[in-house]
Amino acid sequence: MANTLRLYLTCIRNTLEAAMCLQNFPCQEVERHNKPEVELKTSPELLLNSVVICRNEAEKCLIETSINSLRISLKVKQTDELENILTKKFLRFLSMRAEAFQVLRRKPVQGYDISFLITNYHCEEMQKHKLIDFIVQFMEDIDKEISELKLSVNTRGRLVATEFLKQFI
Amino acid sequence: MAAVSVHKFAECITCHAWSPDQSMLALCPNNNEVHIYKQLEQDKWERIHVLQKHDQIVSGIDWSSKSNKIVTVSHDRNSYVWNQESTEWVPTLVILRLNRAALCVQWSPKENKFAVGSGAKTVCICYYEQENNWWVSKLIRKRHDSSVTSVAWHPNNIYLATTSTDGKCRVFSTFIKGVDTREGTGSSSDAKFGEQIIQLDLSFCWAFGVKWSPSGNTLAYAGHNSMIYFVDEVGPSPLAQSVAFRDLPLRDVLYISERVVIGVGYDCSPMVFVADERGLWGFLRFLGERKPAAPSATSSSQFSEAFGKFYGQSKYGSSNDTVQPSRRRAGVHENCINCILPLNKTGDSTITRFSTSGLDGKVVIWDLQKEEDLSEYL
Repeated sequence: MANTLRLYLTCIRNTLEAAMCLQNFPCQEVERHNKPEVELKTSPELLLNSVVICRNEAEKCLIETSINSLRISLKVKQTDELENILTKKFLRFLSMRAEAFQVLRRKPVQGYDISFLITNYHCEEMQKHKLIDFIVQFMEDIDKEISELKLSVNTRGRLVATEFLKQFI
Repeated sequence: MAAVSVHKFAECITCHAWSPDQSMLALCPNNNEVHIYKQLEQDKWERIHVLQKHDQIVSGIDWSSKSNKIVTVSHDRNSYVWNQESTEWVPTLVILRLNRAALCVQWSPKENKFAVGSGAKTVCICYYEQENNWWVSKLIRKRHDSSVTSVAWHPNNIYLATTSTDGKCRVFSTFIKGVDTREGTGSSSDAKFGEQIIQLDLSFCWAFGVKWSPSGNTLAYAGHNSMIYFVDEVGPSPLAQSVAFRDLPLRDVLYISERVVIGVGYDCSPMVFVADERGLWGFLRFLGERKPAAPSATSSSQFSEAFGKFYGQSKYGSSNDTVQPSRRRAGVHENCINCILPLNKTGDSTITRFSTSGLDGKVVIWDLQKEEDLSEYL
């Protein structure tokens, strides 16, 4: 399993490396504006084909690119209801603090759990390979974090149940 | 090492331009100002002027070599021509009549006109009107389907090549009555203002960085799909060559001679393209030092996979299932290069030196004279 995760992440890393070729580009539709084209989608010629990388049905990654911005949306593995609710709560916690992360989008794209928006300004301020490392590291950690949370919820549940049932002995 | 001088001027440079004698450098540090630096000695620069007139990011600067005028364009839709009067730079507003951002600018070879490409899908040809004492512009309208990303003047002062984000490269005639004369431009330039000479539909993606060769016989431009296009015999029956390469796309190109083209872009190192005896173009190599990628670290062949399974787990512990951090591009520039300009010594027609600037805020001067394998092409 570890090796398939590695292949999945390598694939995402290589795609991001090729896709993160962004430049400052002013809006063609609105005067004196400069907006991420991937969000506006007003000029179809400024968008590139989007890429979906799937590890399996539950885990996938959508990469949409435009001339001055790039959007990465992730779907995190959720095998049962507990994982589902943990992922939802955890990612909501992160999304609410989006400005601390700079590249995090407040609302995920429909059908995905979390989205990142990288613009040319991020590429100017930060090093490209560090940005990519951050995304990949995030993906790696989120799985670990969720399974750890799940474990601790289960342990706590078991503890509570034991304590509760003690009174009947 | 081909880079002879490296200097970091700012956090980020959008474009730069050299004074006629190459002792001064104008650059935009990714904001609404233009800074002019003067070289005191080797690698010591002093900022002598700050040109403040624009109110959005400056997207293009060009310094005319004969008349010593600077033209700047900005995303605020305006353009200024700066004239040096004693020690001050005095701006003159150019009425561009644009309603979107201006993206690129270049003086014509005779320096009586300049061209501005814009996000309004138009190109402005500006010329000086003596009676009114200002620069007026004539627009080439309804020819481009998207923003004009770069403009390049043919040596004959009439033809203008443009690239656009609709993927096409076009050549226009910019003959303006009263400014240009028909003499000495050949029979092919009977075209009126704004007439399209050719439209090259080679790229499926955005096109950038068009340049003419020194003789004006060939032009080259880059596509965002990691291709570079060379067009011979620009006219009714052009001959085109498309060269694909395996690295990240280019942003700008520069003809060093008729047979050598340097391309710069997202790969952070300049790329050398050369034409062989038959005129076929190909990628030669990168300029500047690049560490070869460690083969075992990045390849994910089945063998190394299995090898990692047996040996790696014990050696590196849990790091085996994590992905290797991405390889840093080793080169002089650390971010995308977006501007390349030739540097001529006075009285020398061949170019061996050029400068590049990029989003890492460095201006690097490169010298090709020490590169033995390129000398046969120069």
